[in-house]
Amino acid sequence: MLFDSLLAPKYLGWLLDGFVVTVVLSALTCASATALGFVLCLGRIARSPFWSLPVRFFLSLFRNTPLLVQLFFWYFGAAALMPESVLHWLNQPHHWRLPLFGVTWPPFEYVAGFFGLTLYTAAFIAEEFRAGVQGVPPGQARAALALGLRRYQVWLSVIMPQAVRISLPPLLGQYMNAVKNSSLTMAIGLAELSYASRQVETETFKTFQAFGIATLLYIGLIVLIELAGQWIQHRQPAH
Amino acid sequence: MNLDVITDHLDYFLVGAYPHGPLGGAALTLILSVLSALVSGVLGFILGIALAVTRGFAQTSLLLVLSFFRAIPVIMLIFWTYFMLPIVFGINVPGIATVVIALSLIGGAYLAHSVYAGIRSLRQGQWQAAAALGLRPWQVLRYVILPQALPIMTPSFINQWVALIKDTSLAYVIGVGELSFVATQVSNREMVYPTEIFLFVALLYYAICSTLEFFANRVARRYQQAT
Repeated sequence: MLFDSLLAPKYLGWLLDGFVVTVVLSALTCASATALGFVLCLGRIARSPFWSLPVRFFLSLFRNTPLLVQLFFWYFGAAALMPESVLHWLNQPHHWRLPLFGVTWPPFEYVAGFFGLTLYTAAFIAEEFRAGVQGVPPGQARAALALGLRRYQVWLSVIMPQAVRISLPPLLGQYMNAVKNSSLTMAIGLAELSYASRQVETETFKTFQAFGIATLLYIGLIVLIELAGQWIQHRQPAH
Repeated sequence: MNLDVITDHLDYFLVGAYPHGPLGGAALTLILSVLSALVSGVLGFILGIALAVTRGFAQTSLLLVLSFFRAIPVIMLIFWTYFMLPIVFGINVPGIATVVIALSLIGGAYLAHSVYAGIRSLRQGQWQAAAALGLRPWQVLRYVILPQALPIMTPSFINQWVALIKDTSLAYVIGVGELSFVATQVSNREMVYPTEIFLFVALLYYAICSTLEFFANRVARRYQQAT
């Protein structure tokens, strides 16, 4: 009863479409969260409390509340705060024709999902970067200053390269979390992999196949990130 | 800001329909958190010690099982337990049990690695010295290894338990009436003040998580001073 038949091509197509959405959403999230996390990390380690206090507050708030509630807030709550004209624009389909390809503005759940995932992931990445910067022995900076380097040079050529190397493994861990966390966007109706597997399950009652394929696809993505991490670390020169 | 929508439904946010119906809201979130924290802690210790005492094939297979639970999204595991437990065991499993099982498996898989890492961080000589004193293997673990490894593990336990509290919100997907489910119910019924509702609920979670963090850190500090 569980294994009696395979899924029809139509349903495999649904799962594949969901998988593509998961991959694109996670990749965009990782890229933007890394950039935002870097900026937040700079604010967090700034000496002036004018920068570090608000960033501390932001990080603590976003790390200690569930992503699901944050997504609900952006999807339902932020929409209620937006001016009528913006909301109207967001709810209309938009398409731009560029020289090589067209760009279609995605529906609101995609915007809210991407936005929420990025802020949540960035809060975690910022702390990983901070741990990386703190992992560089303070003597390194002092030695570099003594050699006559300027402060920005110390940062660019002494602290940053070492900090990046230290925070790379945890950063990849956060990327894996971003892939897994993208599944939560199904709750605001974003048709990614978990959403698709649930839909296939409802239509076909083939629970085992629907969830099995989705699970394998998730594991495949995670393994891919793991392998990429090992490859990068082996490539790095020993020091 | 309209705070009436919060005060009007405050009871519902905190305890659900109780006492006229099932317990829900923040109280159910707390119960789910405590149960999965306990079970995941026990699982983490058993599996972590198992990792430390096994070698070769047994250890590799255990590591593979653990990485499976660490690799799949919590929502997928909740789906699996929700739909497969009744089929496999032929009984109706209540939603709360489903969530606690799923969260404990994932939390346990993460904690097993922390326990294993804590045990491995001690020098090999500790085992050898204790064995030379005539202690049996489980006595070595109980009186020599674990007391030293525990303070090393506590930060990861605290982090994992905070993550568990946040993950109880995923019970929403199978309709368990905990805090985030209750929030969407009120939001759908009222239709007008979603900003206030989700902000309030986020602050409630924040209060729960930071309270745990605060007290756990205090206990951990006192414990670390004592040893």
